[in-house]
Amino acid sequence: MAQLPPQTIQRDPQLFYWILFPITVVMILTGILRHYASVLMASPPKKVDQPSLKEQRSLMHGVAVRSNSHALSAPSFKARREFLTTAFESGAYLKDPERRGQPPANPMTDPGAMDGMMGMMKNNMAMMVPNTLIMSWINTFFSGFVILKLPFPITIKFKSMLQAGVATKEMDPRWMSSISWYFLCYFGLQFVFNFLLGSDNAASQMAQQMQGMAPQAPNMFGPGVDADKQFQAEAENLAVIKHYSVLDDVEQRLLEGIKTR
Amino acid sequence: MTSSLLRPPGHLSPATALQLSQQAPNIIKNSPGAVTASAFSSLFSAPETPELWTIYENLLLSCLRTGDEESAHLCLGRLVNRFGDDNERVMALIGIMKEADATDDATLEVVLKEYEALLQENPTNTPIVKRRVALLRSLGRIPDAVTALTGLLDFSPTDSEAWSELSDIYFSQGMYGQAIYALEEVLVLQPNAWNIHARIGELLLMSIKSGDQNDSAKQLGEALKRFCRSIELCDDYLRGYYGLKITTTQLLEDPPKPSKQAESDGLSPPNLPTLQKLDGLATEKLGEITRRFTAGERGWQGFDEAEIVAARELLEKSSSTTVR
Repeated sequence: MAQLPPQTIQRDPQLFYWILFPITVVMILTGILRHYASVLMASPPKKVDQPSLKEQRSLMHGVAVRSNSHALSAPSFKARREFLTTAFESGAYLKDPERRGQPPANPMTDPGAMDGMMGMMKNNMAMMVPNTLIMSWINTFFSGFVILKLPFPITIKFKSMLQAGVATKEMDPRWMSSISWYFLCYFGLQFVFNFLLGSDNAASQMAQQMQGMAPQAPNMFGPGVDADKQFQAEAENLAVIKHYSVLDDVEQRLLEGIKTR
Repeated sequence: MTSSLLRPPGHLSPATALQLSQQAPNIIKNSPGAVTASAFSSLFSAPETPELWTIYENLLLSCLRTGDEESAHLCLGRLVNRFGDDNERVMALIGIMKEADATDDATLEVVLKEYEALLQENPTNTPIVKRRVALLRSLGRIPDAVTALTGLLDFSPTDSEAWSELSDIYFSQGMYGQAIYALEEVLVLQPNAWNIHARIGELLLMSIKSGDQNDSAKQLGEALKRFCRSIELCDDYLRGYYGLKITTTQLLEDPPKPSKQAESDGLSPPNLPTLQKLDGLATEKLGEITRRFTAGERGWQGFDEAEIVAARELLEKSSSTTVR
């Protein structure tokens, strides 16, 4: 059982100063730069004009009446139900009542919608461009360097990940190439950014990717949504609700609650 | 100390507000005046917290309340530095400041004109709309205030603050029905607000007293249920018990004619044994609260002094009638 002698590779200590250190610094600096770039590019939230505000809030009000109807007594709920269903059905709260029944406008032509898309584009660009640049920078200058030996043994499977760009079959997978160090930084610097920029920074790509993967919440008032249809649906919901009041038998509940305590 | 600065100062007692504003120069001196926007220095200075600006805002209001306008101006200056004077909330604060500096009605009219000019530009500027309502009300132009407020509620019916202000204005004019309606809207938005439940009960009682509606069985029944609900939500709410006690006393002494309307709405008052039990419960709890508050027991403080006195008077009155 002859034990394999540990592989040793004579590395130039200069590798540390000229590859490992620059890559790390550049990664951190681009992260900070990206954060401030996205802060600068962020467009301020658009002003909502009065009619559309009215449309949104009225719908929210309808939802609130429906879901909190138990706080009202039976007659006051009945009065509200009658009033709101007629108003919703007649389209009293619509932004532009003349356009009822027409299909919603194409979101591409709506300047408001374009704004949102531009915002997304900007964000994506701010993520992709620096990453591509750094990747190609590392590939051009540092590919093929073995710069670091991990202090713990790992299996052969990691070889393709850690030794990207170094085509040496027999080398221990503990040795890392420069491009792998880049990936490690890419995934591992989030905490550094949290520390430097605060927790809601725009520098950590991981968080943004997670956000991108999560299913987008349906946009309630977004462009391309027919408000009239929403109002009709809400009127129907209000009309079919079976009302109970929290005031029913409240004195019995109170007395029993006191007794059991 | 700072915890009371993080909440809007409207509910503070005059003593607390005075205490806060007396510490204002210290707080202002110890808090950072401006947070630099430059990237480099933000790496080293303390991070900016939203609490800092909340503290400035509340401190400003407390200082204005106690007449310390120097500190108020300092706070406002820092807020303007940070958010610019075109921020809606800061605009409202600047307005408050101008109102406080005004000495006569003519100056207030000028401020009102400014508000109207701002609203011409941007009719959805809610803080300014609210300032305008408050100013109109303090100038005594109640109808204008109501119109402005209903205008706000027309495009923003989910604003519970505006609804409760509307209710208060209606109440001050003796229009109980409208006041109750507005409070019910608050309940739709905040269904578990026990103070609003109790307030509706109080308004119902007052509307019976004023006698503008005749179905008192229904109204007393609803008032009783409202007080019960508010106690159910907050089980040592003094006003809830006080109202419950008054309602049960009234129902026991002078039971109203049972009405068909109340019956069909499910709001008729409960039967006699239940009423007596509720009355006993309210008496017992009111007694406990007043006793423990006066004894200064821990965990029983923080009630309003005036409310305790009123509760004690109510108890004395009811006990004297039972003895007789």
